[in-house]
Amino acid sequence: MLLPLIAAAFLLAGSGSAVFTDEAWNVDYHYALLGQPKQSTSFFHQPNPSSRASLVYTLSERGVLGAVNPRDGAVVWRQVLLAGASAHNASFLRAGEGQDVVISGIGSQVAAWSAADGRQAWSVDFPGPLEDVEILELVDGKDTSGAKDAVALSGGDQPVVQRLDGATGSVKWQYQLSGTDVPYQVSASTTEVFVISLHKTILGYLKLKVTSLDPVSGHKMDEHMLSSENELATADTIVTVGANSASPINAWTDSTHSVLKVNIMGTKGISSFDIEKHGGEAVERVKLHAPYHINSLSHFLVHYETATSHWAEVFHVDLKRGQVEKAYSLPKLAGRGAFSTSTSDANVYFTRVTSDQVMTVSSASHGVLGKWSVGGFNVAAANDETAEPIHAVSEVSIRGDTVSAVRSAVLLSTGDWVLLRDGSPVWSRPEMLASTVSAAFATPAEVEALVQQLEAEAHSNPIEAYIHRLTRHVQDLQRLPAIIMSLPQKVVQGFLGTSVDGDITSDSFGFHQIIACATQDGRLIALDAGNPDKVLWNQQIADLQPGQTWQPSVSSPKGGVVEISSKASAGVQYNASSGEQLVSILPIDVTADQAAQEVKYAMHDGGLEATVDSSTTWHFMPTSGERIVSLVPRPLNDPVASIGKVLGDRRVLYKYLDPNLALLVTANDAATAATFYVLNTVSGAILYSNVHTGVDLSSPISSMLSENWFTYSFTAEASGDSPKGHQLVVGELFESLVANDRGPLSSTANYSSMQTGTEPFTLTKIYQIPEPISKMAVTRTRQGITSRQLLAVLADSSAIVGIPYGVVDPRRPIGRDPTKDEQAEGLVRYSPVIDFDPRWYLNHQREVVGVKDTITSPALLESTSLVFAYGLDIFGTRLSPSFSFDVLGKDFNKFQMLATVAALAVATCVVAPLVTRKQVNTRWQFM
Amino acid sequence: MRSLLTLLCATLASAASLNIAILPSLHLPNPSLLPPSTHAVLIGPPGVRYDAALRRDNTLKFEALPEASYLLTIYSRDHFFPPLRVDVSKVTDGAEQQTIEAWQTFRGNEWSNKGSPYGSGTDALSIQIQASAQKEFYQTRGGFDMLGFLKSPMILMGLVSVVFIFGLPYIMDNMDPEMKQEFEEMQKKGPLTGSQGAATQMQNFDVAGWLAGKK
Repeated sequence: MLLPLIAAAFLLAGSGSAVFTDEAWNVDYHYALLGQPKQSTSFFHQPNPSSRASLVYTLSERGVLGAVNPRDGAVVWRQVLLAGASAHNASFLRAGEGQDVVISGIGSQVAAWSAADGRQAWSVDFPGPLEDVEILELVDGKDTSGAKDAVALSGGDQPVVQRLDGATGSVKWQYQLSGTDVPYQVSASTTEVFVISLHKTILGYLKLKVTSLDPVSGHKMDEHMLSSENELATADTIVTVGANSASPINAWTDSTHSVLKVNIMGTKGISSFDIEKHGGEAVERVKLHAPYHINSLSHFLVHYETATSHWAEVFHVDLKRGQVEKAYSLPKLAGRGAFSTSTSDANVYFTRVTSDQVMTVSSASHGVLGKWSVGGFNVAAANDETAEPIHAVSEVSIRGDTVSAVRSAVLLSTGDWVLLRDGSPVWSRPEMLASTVSAAFATPAEVEALVQQLEAEAHSNPIEAYIHRLTRHVQDLQRLPAIIMSLPQKVVQGFLGTSVDGDITSDSFGFHQIIACATQDGRLIALDAGNPDKVLWNQQIADLQPGQTWQPSVSSPKGGVVEISSKASAGVQYNASSGEQLVSILPIDVTADQAAQEVKYAMHDGGLEATVDSSTTWHFMPTSGERIVSLVPRPLNDPVASIGKVLGDRRVLYKYLDPNLALLVTANDAATAATFYVLNTVSGAILYSNVHTGVDLSSPISSMLSENWFTYSFTAEASGDSPKGHQLVVGELFESLVANDRGPLSSTANYSSMQTGTEPFTLTKIYQIPEPISKMAVTRTRQGITSRQLLAVLADSSAIVGIPYGVVDPRRPIGRDPTKDEQAEGLVRYSPVIDFDPRWYLNHQREVVGVKDTITSPALLESTSLVFAYGLDIFGTRLSPSFSFDVLGKDFNKFQMLATVAALAVATCVVAPLVTRKQVNTRWQFM
Repeated sequence: MRSLLTLLCATLASAASLNIAILPSLHLPNPSLLPPSTHAVLIGPPGVRYDAALRRDNTLKFEALPEASYLLTIYSRDHFFPPLRVDVSKVTDGAEQQTIEAWQTFRGNEWSNKGSPYGSGTDALSIQIQASAQKEFYQTRGGFDMLGFLKSPMILMGLVSVVFIFGLPYIMDNMDPEMKQEFEEMQKKGPLTGSQGAATQMQNFDVAGWLAGKK
């Protein structure tokens, strides 16, 4: 009885929601991620040619172009070029020497971006997918002033090479490639543009065809085929060095990696080098590293990798004689290593990064110019895993003949992107989190351990329980000295308000929950929601082959445990705090109700099918021409504090609360209509349905169901008098619309969906919203007393808004002002347009890009719900939809309170003698 | 994908382009400070959507728009922009040229309800737009404010009565004797106080006598 009153009290208090100035940037956390960088599209570049400060640019596997400050790892700017890109998408990123733009190529679009602030300079769309983009550094041997032009090669049905004006992006010339050859790469020397295409011989082998074009006119100058004999079966073993090295080269190996063939572009001669077998292991990968500068020495490095070791050889190109010579080799080292090329004037430097050292050599000789040992990369990894460098880009500072400093941005095998300055890690960016596909909250195992101990005490006989408790307390005593030691610090921190709510073991508010994220590339990563600056653990749990994908789903079946299941495998469980795999067979919970029958429902033949004990109970088939878009069930753990809504006059409207509800969305492509059904998943009954026509089915249709209300949003086309734009529909289900009446359910104490079908009374309202909602979620609190907030992901604004339920309440009166009673409930007059107040933005001034889903979890405090959003960026915060009524917030001024107490104490001391004197005087005067 | 196809078809058939320049305004004195994530979205009939990134010269460009009626929305991190309606149509039936027009539009109103025109052109249109408001993300807490506290009417009333209770006897004591006498005189003559005052008469009213019919 008390709960409805409390709920009413909250309604009266007004369920406002806003980001407070003192909580912003403190309570919330955000990783602005790019995705794992690629070696070929990452480099150091000076955004402003007049200053020496450089930024690290990358076009990541996820199709995000970004600039990162090498000093602190912060993102300076970024642009999502291709949403939903993966590692297989070909992408290119080039920067001309001394240019203030970077030129990207992905999909079929080439675009130039201002290097300093990320604004677009121009963009050009190609008819086919891009195969290569290069910058023309020199034309006719002269350094052109102003913007440097770009050359792009596109494939598809009509392969074409275009020269794009560096300032405007307009096409200067284009050359249509003829024949059936597959365009592969474009390259430029000082006097020629080379187009390399792959010619398939009758026997199925590949040959390289080099077409040279005049850079000024685009006319064909020469064409020849390189005799690669029968070495090239696939394009994977070709390694070429693109434009702008002093002498562009073509190189390839055979499929067994036993011989390396090198051709200087523009010549027909081929140099052949045997690849030495070091220790009999097969060479798995051959990579080529060469400077990207036209006036640097024409030296290059070939990097060989086997499963357990790597080494490199440095080659010099003799331009006069047209020969390639091997200069020296770098010794074989165990583990993986990364090589990067840097230039200073004409000199070329190669930096080698391994898991224990960073070393720089000059391309001219093998003498070590600088060597630093790496203590560690300072990233989380599994116990049996060592973080190894995958690839690196470096910037070297040269003083005299030695390298005074080297900065390397290294991608590690754990997925972290780390900057090493002279071997010591400066920052790390957890880029592996950018490919998170599923995440879940879990209670820390430490907290769960205490719960289990307490349960053990509750279920044993009193004496045993007493002994158990005594031993537990004795064990706890061991921690006493540490607690006493940290006490003064805690008091000071609490007083100054700088404490971060304790650590994970002494978490009294439940803010320290573990968030387990499963990524596309088979890793499982855990974060602490209360201390999100650090990754708790990070391990590879699925061994995926390149090109293989999986659809993991993370859940927490019980406290302290994270479970991963995918289509291929049943659930594997992990300890939430340490990440250890739980191999022991977990006891099956016998407390589950044996009498309860489980109704399972799944998508089947384009419809829904529900089964009980493997016999079908109901079918839901959409009408012909319709397809199912989404199905959102009511969350399993969705506590509701009150079965009714207390009205302003203290009467009650009873909510239609059924745990077995689901919201189903179907689309009819021919009629551009979307149908929304609320289903009872046990009986299959349709409780509510509605059709909207003129719906844009290619834009997101998001839906959500919680408690006794559902909501969905879509984009509608104008028709007749109806407006064009984005709409949000909110519906609420009631047992009856008459207050204090439960309708047909009033006489029954229990009811079953199987036997009686009672239909709810549904109130709906449509609101016009300013932008599409790509995903919806709802806040969850422990008891469900706190009012709820609808969380909506706005993809266009890169934001997540928390819409208070009162704003979208379907009971808002239409066409009249609310009565006194309705006002007391907090209802305001209906207006069809809702503007998203910027104060509802959970991310406030941050931009949370590419959010795919939002998950919520209750904290121990009733007022608070934890929110975590993932996709590309990682964002999390704590929300108090009804304000923090059960905890002292930041607004509680401890200084003020102490000052008041002190002032009162002083006043008492001062006034006390005065009062005593006065009392004494009055007695003497009147008696 | 569908929009891409439409786009490709459009490149062959039409060439209507839209150029939107962001002008400085009261809310946005320097448009060059807009974040690079600022972008504009054109929503046409179902399935047609174009997205343009902000350029270096504070413009947003759409090229090769097919004939349709579009809703233009500009999204920026820190500012709101008014929504616009953009119509692309053929000049005359069968003609190659296209008319492109832009108006202000009002969310929640019927689509035919157009606001002030932003301009019209043949095959190409350049319009200028200003930010309509700045986004205020933060709510400051209603902390303890001494001045606000003192300004509240209850406190003011209390303070006034405190001044009267403590201040008046003090003023009376310090008053010039002549003035004091005058003041007392005035008080006696007052309509409520004094022997003839209404209040005194009310207090001294002889109820028993009146009931007994005493004249």
